[in-house]
Amino acid sequence: METARTAAASTLSYAIDIGFLDPKKVEFYKTPGGFTGLRYAGNDYKRVTLRRALPIKHPMEYISVADQENKEIGMIRSLYELSEKQFSIAMAELDSRYYSPVVCEVKSVKDKLGYVYMELVIERDGARHVKNCAVKDVNKNIRMLDEDRLAIFDVDGNRYVIQSLNKLDKKSLKRLEPYLF
Amino acid sequence: MLKSHEFSYDLDLTMQPANGILRFNETGTIESCIGDKAFLTLTADEVAEVLVIPGVGCGLICARLNDGSEVLLCRFTMSCMKEAGEFCKVVNYYIKTREYAAPEKKEKPVCEKCGRHFVGELTVCVFCYNKIGVIKRALGLMRPFAGKIIPAELFITLSSVLYLLVPLFSRKIIDDYLRPMKGTFQQILLLAAAMFLARAIGELIFILSSRVFNKGSILFANHLRNLAYEKIQKLSLNSLSKRTPGDLIRRVMEDTTVVKEFISDGGRWAMEQMILFVVVFVILIVTNFQLTLLVFLPVPVVCLALSRFWRFIHIRYERQWRKNSKCQAILHDIIKGIRTVKSFGKEEMEIKKFSDATRELAQVSSDNEVMWAKLFPLMTFLTGIGEFLVLYFGGYKILNGALSFGVLVQFSMYITYIYAPLRWFVSFPRWLADAMTSMVKIFEILDEDIEIKSVTEPKNVPIAGKVTFEGVSFGYKSYEPVLKDINIEIKPGEMIGIVGRSGAGKSTMINLLMRLYDPNQGRICINGVDIREMDPEHLHESIGVVFQDTFLFAGSIYDNIAYAKPDATVEEVIAAAKAANAHDFIMKTADGYNTLIGENGYSISGGERQRIAIARAIIKNPSILILDEATSSLDVETESIIQDSLNRIVKGRTTIAIAHRLSTLRNADRLFVIDDGRIAESGTHLELMKKKGIYYRLVMAQRQTSKLKEIS
Repeated sequence: METARTAAASTLSYAIDIGFLDPKKVEFYKTPGGFTGLRYAGNDYKRVTLRRALPIKHPMEYISVADQENKEIGMIRSLYELSEKQFSIAMAELDSRYYSPVVCEVKSVKDKLGYVYMELVIERDGARHVKNCAVKDVNKNIRMLDEDRLAIFDVDGNRYVIQSLNKLDKKSLKRLEPYLF
Repeated sequence: MLKSHEFSYDLDLTMQPANGILRFNETGTIESCIGDKAFLTLTADEVAEVLVIPGVGCGLICARLNDGSEVLLCRFTMSCMKEAGEFCKVVNYYIKTREYAAPEKKEKPVCEKCGRHFVGELTVCVFCYNKIGVIKRALGLMRPFAGKIIPAELFITLSSVLYLLVPLFSRKIIDDYLRPMKGTFQQILLLAAAMFLARAIGELIFILSSRVFNKGSILFANHLRNLAYEKIQKLSLNSLSKRTPGDLIRRVMEDTTVVKEFISDGGRWAMEQMILFVVVFVILIVTNFQLTLLVFLPVPVVCLALSRFWRFIHIRYERQWRKNSKCQAILHDIIKGIRTVKSFGKEEMEIKKFSDATRELAQVSSDNEVMWAKLFPLMTFLTGIGEFLVLYFGGYKILNGALSFGVLVQFSMYITYIYAPLRWFVSFPRWLADAMTSMVKIFEILDEDIEIKSVTEPKNVPIAGKVTFEGVSFGYKSYEPVLKDINIEIKPGEMIGIVGRSGAGKSTMINLLMRLYDPNQGRICINGVDIREMDPEHLHESIGVVFQDTFLFAGSIYDNIAYAKPDATVEEVIAAAKAANAHDFIMKTADGYNTLIGENGYSISGGERQRIAIARAIIKNPSILILDEATSSLDVETESIIQDSLNRIVKGRTTIAIAHRLSTLRNADRLFVIDDGRIAESGTHLELMKKKGIYYRLVMAQRQTSKLKEIS
């Protein structure tokens, strides 16, 4: 069964060119305007966007690189295939595109007029900040990403992540408990 | 003092939370500051365009300079997205016109009391809104029905008060006639008759007033529902598309019921229970002060326990409700997509998915039932403590001759009247919270601004002259423009074709012409009059439209054709059907024009459905006919039948057609090619083919595809 599936996949990969970039030839750089550029196969792309194909399951793999017009230049199979310098530029670009602050404490949770109003403490590079957010349709917008990771999507479109429910303090967990299912 | 437009952003360039300001002033300077420090300054002369680039959970504003390079101006979280779009609009307008036109300061509404931003689309602060005000407003809506509801409520309360006489009569019978063994049969009969009458009159009043009351409260719910529905009909597509159909249906049906129940039933209960409580309290105090104290002794404990109990149970049942919703959603999804499930042979997988969900539901439900079975008897026991105390101390006093037996019986009977309201009062906050949520949601709809407004003195010119788009820009989200600076003129009677890739903005153009949305910038005129100065109804009456996904309402074919002109004569309906080449197939059905078609017209074919839609569009003889991919979902043969009818119909009418199959637009007087929200090319088919631009490439690509299909 597995062999058949691998054979089918390899046939498909053969027929459809995913367009993986050669990690050795990828050269990301910082532009004077504050963006990330890319030199690849003799082309110089002045601003590129890095997008995760599977941001939850494989955040470091299958990274699509698109140009200014959002046209895909190619994909990077794994960021770990890049050199250290290239890896850090790519990571910085991804970090600035995907903003999901890590929640380290839930200070309060209040049900008000059909919205769940939360006071969250987020951590960015060691500094702690308090964030207020309102969540509508908790069934959809407070959801488990995997066994232990929880994502909260607020009404504005911001997203917050609790990396490990098991490591969250008891009071925070108790406040969130009614909304976990 | 220079006029300036400011955008407050909340992240620095390294994505750390920060307080930054992006400022654009009337001299054309753009300045980005964090704190007081400006770290970047540009002038509008250097900039070709500023644009919002959305990320995931964040976004940025980028300045594209004249030399093609780009500069990052600021980063922000999604909370600032709308304001970022507004800022870009102001700067881009200045770059284009050299005029500074800052919009009216429309900052995110903030609560005056607590300074918190309003949540989502709410127009009140969730923490500080005036609860009394909201209830008053809901009561105000009830005013037309108050004549029925209030007197009925008073009589229902009176019927309950009549029941309170029964323990008094019981006491009299025991103390005056039974215990001293002095009473006569007549005296006892008289009191028993009085008891019977009190109950019977009470029941009679209750039955009669309940009928009036229920009628009044149903009328009130109906009124509330109609108010919400009428408002929804008047709202723009822009407002409606912010909410899901389910959300709107819930507001019209469920929220109105919750409000009705709270205002009518809740009001009735509140009045009844409070009056009963006060009356019983006074009777008890007057009868025996000490025993009354005993009755009330466990009240604080009971209240506290009840309140905890309800909160605890509520959370658990809410979880059960969510699990149940999950099961329903899975079931709905699977049944809707059963064809796909079966064709991929995934029945087992779907069975497992559903059984997993039902197992979880069963587990939670069973836990809750066990919990309920444990806690409920405990609560009943707690609320019965007062009764034990009264019996114990009352019995003690009777044995000592300090209390009569009748008084003890009377107290025991009244205790239920004290504890029943208590139970109700404890669950009241939850009931109030639910009702408040529903009330605010209904008022949110009722208070919503109608974006597509009718002017007070509309200029309803005949919709027959030239149509012009003058500098029209528009985006469904202000930060994502779909159309950019569209300038076109369409002569009366012209057949115009709009072509372009998917998502280029073709349908958006006709949405704007139909005034389903208003442009963010520029104007659309008919005969030189801005369509915003016309009555929307007048405009819509003169435009006929056929969409790709035709929606037919449940009803007969006749009703569907006459939908656009309800006063159409039978001849008009048949003529419209003949013009749309629909008559022949209609006549083949057993019931002809009376044939019933279900929701979406499932019982008839795509081509037939489309022909009914065309008949519906032309029955009102529109001056402008819009065909939005009207034939794209049909096979070539059916398309050619419909194309025949369309060719007949479009003669002499201004027609705007969108089609992916470019061959259908070959006869258009002019074609507009839209690319990335702008008019990239215009001209006749031949002119554009000679030009060898985007249109040429699209035609060539389609020819290639057709050839491939022919070969295969």
